[in-house]
Amino acid sequence: MVRFKRARGNGVRVRLAEDEAELLRRLVAEMRTMLEVHISQDPVIQRLFPDAHVSSEEAADFRALTEDDLSAAKRSALETVSASLASDGRLDTTLREAEVDAWLSVLTDLRLAIGARLEVTEELMSADVDPQDKNAPALVTLHWLGWLQEMLLEAAG
Amino acid sequence: MPPSWQHVPMASPTEAPERTEETRIGDRLDKPWLVIVWNDPVNLMSYVTWVFKKLFGYSEAKATKLMLDVHHRGRAVVSSGAREKAEMDCYRLHAYGLWATISKSD
Repeated sequence: MVRFKRARGNGVRVRLAEDEAELLRRLVAEMRTMLEVHISQDPVIQRLFPDAHVSSEEAADFRALTEDDLSAAKRSALETVSASLASDGRLDTTLREAEVDAWLSVLTDLRLAIGARLEVTEELMSADVDPQDKNAPALVTLHWLGWLQEMLLEAAG
Repeated sequence: MPPSWQHVPMASPTEAPERTEETRIGDRLDKPWLVIVWNDPVNLMSYVTWVFKKLFGYSEAKATKLMLDVHHRGRAVVSSGAREKAEMDCYRLHAYGLWATISKSD
């Protein structure tokens, strides 16, 4: 099944089966909680809010000025995706351009979060998932999100 | 089973750019600030290219070249200018999930 397809105008039609849509809803809800709680030593938060300067002093200054805005931007994108995902069931909707942007950045944040939590490397990312690996379910989800993102990028042109 | 990345014991921070205090020395000079994007194992090549086109209006060719530089060399300068502009570009890259830093040009 093609999940994303160019629609008339600038939109992208997205169709997801119920279990796919449900998984995305859960991940979005988890990400919302993580952004609200914002534990700054958490590797996931450190990856989503990276240092902007190599000097730690300047990085702290930049962070003090921008972190709230960055968090608000990420939460706003999450809410946009959340609204287009609706509350339950399968998904069949058309995303406008701004919604496509929000989907792309949220899919990225979800992937970065899983990647940071698992401390993935390029080697791990390019290898087949080992079913015996305790992280296999998370890795499969990480690849699935990347596959969705690839298709969305292709459909969005 | 979806992953749960909450309530997991904290691990050591993921790799970070090398820290140096030298960046301050150049502050008084009128040299541009560079916006550097670093390679990361997660972001898709196609997505990184898309972000460069989207944020900087680069052509497909230029965006692809920069993405490949990031991928193969570990980092690439993607824009430069006054400090305020570099900081804004860096912020926007962070908003799209790219790992970016700024530093004064040597």
